[in-house]
Amino acid sequence: MPDTQHDHAPTRSLRLGVAGPVGTGKSSLIALLCRELSGTLQLGVITNDIYTDEDARFLRSAGVLDPERIRAVETGACPHTAIRDDVTANLLAVEDLEEDFAPLDVVLVESGGDNLTATFSPALVDAQIFVLDVAGGGDVARKGGPGISRADLLVVNKTDLAPYVGVDVPQMVADATAARDGGPVLALSRLDRESIDALTAWLHGLLAEHRAGSHVPQDPGPMAPHFHADEDGDGVLHSHDDGDHDHAHGDQDHGDHDHGAAHDHAEDHVDTAPVPAVRA
Amino acid sequence: MGEGAGPDGRGELMLALLADARLPTGGHTQSAGLEPALRAGMDPARVPDYLRARLATVTRVEAATAVVARHVVMPDATGCGPSSGAAAMALAETWHAWAARTPSAALRDTSQRLGRGYLRLLRRLWAGDPRVLALDEAARLVTADHAADRASDLGRDQARGVEGSDDESATADGRGRAASGTRNRGAQPPRPLVLGVTAACAGLSALQVARLVGYEDTQTVAAATLKLAPIDPVDATGWVVAAQPAIDALAYDVAPLTDPRAIPAHGAPLVEQWAEIHARTTERLFSA
Ligand SMILES: Nc1nc2c(ncn2[C@@H]2O[C@H](COP(=O)(O)OP(=O)(O)OP(=O)(O)O)[C@@H](O)[C@H]2O)c(=O)[nH]1
Ligand SMILES: [Mg+2]
Ligand SMILES: [Zn+2]
Ligand SMILES: [Zn+2]
Ligand SMILES: [Zn+2]
Repeated sequence: MPDTQHDHAPTRSLRLGVAGPVGTGKSSLIALLCRELSGTLQLGVITNDIYTDEDARFLRSAGVLDPERIRAVETGACPHTAIRDDVTANLLAVEDLEEDFAPLDVVLVESGGDNLTATFSPALVDAQIFVLDVAGGGDVARKGGPGISRADLLVVNKTDLAPYVGVDVPQMVADATAARDGGPVLALSRLDRESIDALTAWLHGLLAEHRAGSHVPQDPGPMAPHFHADEDGDGVLHSHDDGDHDHAHGDQDHGDHDHGAAHDHAEDHVDTAPVPAVRA
Repeated sequence: MGEGAGPDGRGELMLALLADARLPTGGHTQSAGLEPALRAGMDPARVPDYLRARLATVTRVEAATAVVARHVVMPDATGCGPSSGAAAMALAETWHAWAARTPSAALRDTSQRLGRGYLRLLRRLWAGDPRVLALDEAARLVTADHAADRASDLGRDQARGVEGSDDESATADGRGRAASGTRNRGAQPPRPLVLGVTAACAGLSALQVARLVGYEDTQTVAAATLKLAPIDPVDATGWVVAAQPAIDALAYDVAPLTDPRAIPAHGAPLVEQWAEIHARTTERLFSA
């Protein structure tokens, strides 16, 4: 089917957002993922530096990914807007990366460090990780907020520092898990091999779901248009505010229905035209 | 009442919509050249002069281009639209006229990136409109023109023994945004071209689209000042109010234009130089 919606979308990667307060370790987590996975997956990275291009430079200098696959997007001091209300600049950057290095498996988008309320729009990413660290205090997880409560994965980072900042990691993880109604929480440290393996395993699982079309982008905030891949490598961009939808997408029903396989999106979602082939 | 602006005021509403900073086209990443201007030492107190200088030069070219782009896809008085081939060719001509009057590769690059943001909106909100299809066809025509230019440049350069060539899709971005590793993308229509077509689809008059370009540029500078210098937001808004006569004059001057050849060519060497420097700067708040 001809693609009338998009100027260029040669391949469609899994777009993964990484958000969280300043300094919690978003860039480090992305560097870690690149180091662990760039041998087996085709990756790209977009950073949303607030003032400098520190994040992009840090990632380039980490030497874990071809520097040309790491691009900085200026947000005009509006990091929140750039991932939520007006994702244009980021979306163009993602599409350019997908076009220039096709086929990419995963594009990681680092939000400029923001407060606890900043989350990605599903119009920009398919899934998002929210990063906290133990240095921010053990009670941050209990404070909640859309990212903490409903991101696809909550990372509690720098657990190696816990003894020095007086944080009880199992308690913090338990609090976070409770705030997330049982959603996944990962206690991470770059010094803890087991936790790194758990992170990459989570990403592999997500990628498999995305490719099978069974991953449904969840929006920590209100639902916005999002992308479904399907089994034969195509996909559909749609929103869930249309009246003809017979499967309501509450935040709760997301985990338990088989989205891609249970119904043909191209037919029952008349709102938006299909997006061209995802991958070989 | 200009053509297309119905008495029902639909044009007014669309003008408000398109001028709204909340329009999702990436406007918040822009300072309309103010960031490099301040960095080059311009006193923030002189922003009103900077605004007037832009309205007399680069913004005038943008506004005129948008007016002509709108015109060439509008139906005539008898209600007959141009054939899509004719509209596409006229749009391509307008595009070339804009490029010829925009000597800075950095400014062209920015305009084309902004154009992509507006195009995303246009394609979604006016999908299938023949004017949008004409714009797509114009992009194919210009892409082909560029390929032909490159081929002839290459032949000439090879004869002279030099390497590389510059065309209007060239980028001055030193940060690798379109550096090596980037495939040659198709030509991207600049913002005023996309805005002109959007204006036609949205029912804006020629005067309204010209005013829109003038207002948007002024407000972009005023809003960016607040992020870059210690200025009272009410003062910055006052600058926009004070620029109204200049915006109006610009709008009335360019609104009657219908021919790409009539688009004025006003250079602003300092603005152009600052834009080039900014494109190579790594520590920046705004994309341009
Ligand atoms: N001890 C320890 N330090 C870490 C770990 N991960 C990251 N850091 C450190 O935390 C600091 C901040 O890390 P970044 O990755 O730059 O954090 P960020 O969230 O990207 O920061 P912004 O982009 O500025 O918001 C750096 O000094 C890292 O070295 C970890 O697992 N353990
Ligand atoms: Mg960072
Ligand atoms: Zn697209
Ligand atoms: Zn569903
Ligand atoms: Zn669905």
